[in-house]
Amino acid sequence: MENSQQVPVTVLTGFLGAGKTTLLNRILTEQHGRKYAVIVNEFGEQGIDNDLVVDADEEVFEMNNGCICCTVRGDLIRILSGLMKRADKLDAIIVETTGLADPAPVAQTFFVDEDVADRTKLDAIVTVADAVHLSSQLEDHHEAEEQIAFADVLLLNKVDLVDDSALTRVKERIRKINPFAKIIQTTRCDAPLDEVVGLNAFSLERVLEVEPDFLESDHDHEHDDDVTSVSFVSDTPLDMDKFQTWFGDLLRTKGQDILRSKGILDFQGEEERYVFQGVHMLMDASPMGSWAEGKKRSSRIVFIGRNLDSMNLEEGFENCKIG
Amino acid sequence: MIADLDQLEGSNQTELEKNGEHFEFNAPVTEAVSIGNTVVVGFGDGKIRFFKPDQKPHDIQAHSGVILCMVKAEDYILTGGDDGRFLQISMDGDIEEIANFGSRWVDSVAAYKGDRVCSSDKVVYLWSKENEKKSFTHQSTISGVTFSPNGKHLAVSRYGGVTVWRRGKNKWSSSNYSWKGSHGKVTFSPNGKYLVTSMQENQLHGWRLNDKADLAMSGYPAKIKSFNWVGDTPYLVTSGASEAVCWPFDGKEGPMGRKPVCVASGGKQYATFVESLTEENAVFVGFKDGLVLLSEIDEKKNSITIRNSTGSEVSAIVVSETRAHILIGDVKGNVTWSSIRPQQN
Repeated sequence: MENSQQVPVTVLTGFLGAGKTTLLNRILTEQHGRKYAVIVNEFGEQGIDNDLVVDADEEVFEMNNGCICCTVRGDLIRILSGLMKRADKLDAIIVETTGLADPAPVAQTFFVDEDVADRTKLDAIVTVADAVHLSSQLEDHHEAEEQIAFADVLLLNKVDLVDDSALTRVKERIRKINPFAKIIQTTRCDAPLDEVVGLNAFSLERVLEVEPDFLESDHDHEHDDDVTSVSFVSDTPLDMDKFQTWFGDLLRTKGQDILRSKGILDFQGEEERYVFQGVHMLMDASPMGSWAEGKKRSSRIVFIGRNLDSMNLEEGFENCKIG
Repeated sequence: MIADLDQLEGSNQTELEKNGEHFEFNAPVTEAVSIGNTVVVGFGDGKIRFFKPDQKPHDIQAHSGVILCMVKAEDYILTGGDDGRFLQISMDGDIEEIANFGSRWVDSVAAYKGDRVCSSDKVVYLWSKENEKKSFTHQSTISGVTFSPNGKHLAVSRYGGVTVWRRGKNKWSSSNYSWKGSHGKVTFSPNGKYLVTSMQENQLHGWRLNDKADLAMSGYPAKIKSFNWVGDTPYLVTSGASEAVCWPFDGKEGPMGRKPVCVASGGKQYATFVESLTEENAVFVGFKDGLVLLSEIDEKKNSITIRNSTGSEVSAIVVSETRAHILIGDVKGNVTWSSIRPQQN
């Protein structure tokens, strides 16, 4: 479903005061000659330097498609449909969410709504985190955890205001939730912009680049609500039927707790690599070219979510192996 | 007239393709309405174009951005744009700015005998005949406003349902018609007894005005972007499926427990726009690939191809009030303008 007519959309999340507006203004002012539309929230920070700023409402609604966690944003659909009627083509759209917003309905809007999916594509979810306050925010608000979990890129901002040991601790905390996001340390959101926008992080090709920092699942968390991640690797090819049955069932019954899932799979009898990426119960999957010559074929799958321990993921994945 | 329209269908090229005038304007057609023999078209670049019989279309730059909504207000049109302006435009192209909301879009407009209404953000603004201004604030951004046929009610669709404002002697009072979800455009049935919205999900929701009884009209494979009332029954004709889905609103219960009539099949693709030919109990149906069919609301009758596929989604079909011309517009800015009176040989 990719074509050049699709306008890339960057979703910008992060708590109030983390530096979202600073980053937004850098994108808008430093990328001269590019035409952006910015969708902000009425409770968002003010002072955005752009001609085309649209207010959103956070109208979250459940899609009536049997998927209990399939919530999308009605206001976003309406605004995007208005923007797509413009005579001049936009180079990109940036959606800024409130500090307390759950990123899932925003991301899911780009998967579920047909008109939106035809005309736009999710480029990346960029989360701005405040190095000073992130730890306490994670304790107090589950939204902070979700914003970290959903991130493709994580700008760890205000690193000049913490010492080295605090910085290490906050990075460890982030890695525990989401070992797959690219972390960029900044002082005033001064990240290279080509690492923030125009990433195509939601394309299936990008899944191939996922290199998790660690491969063991971590079991020392304090309460069941914590967002954690696990990943599994198999050098034995997988049985496609078995995998589809297990994975389909898993997303249907546990999708609410699985925030993100990604994987590259080696199915027996298939020449090509299978790649998928999901948000809650929704996912995109397709064959993505052959395996590199001379390189070992292997399957890798990663999950970010809550209560992952209770899902028997390792056993489920093991059972998909042939033999 | 239907019999005459049969002649419009040629073996390869339709009469409309042969005899119509074709224009490329490079900005999406967003809205179109007719006043008398004229069709007024709004575009994604803020231009308004007037199509009159035997004349070249002329344009005016009304808005600086997308024309989001347009309605007939007696001899004028009212328009709202993403430039935040609410305009009244005469058939000569004279523009009067009624209001300017700056960066806030004017999402919907309505009119009734001198009352002019627009919505911007969460507020509905009403300018009466006497130019007295009123405003009504709602809980979320408004996606549609419309007057009931007798002008006594003003329906406002929004997140979670519709607010119906009732005109009293001295003031307006409101009543909520709730249904979970994101509602789009809103319409009253021609007898004013029913209220229907299209939703962001692939369904319509309706209420009986007097007792708020709910009507669910679902089963669509795509979103319902367009609906229109047709005939004496009347039928609510809707896009969003591979055929025009027509719900009967006669009797005490309207479409409750009844099946819709489905006409004008476009094959695998979905209808995106419907326009009524109400005296003929017939409907023009435009599709995602540009095909336009005409059909009576009768499953036994065959539809007529008015225009073949063009590859571009139909976003407007208007028959002039004089029933002499038809205009078809699409999302790429192509416009076809043609007489629909049979050629006298």
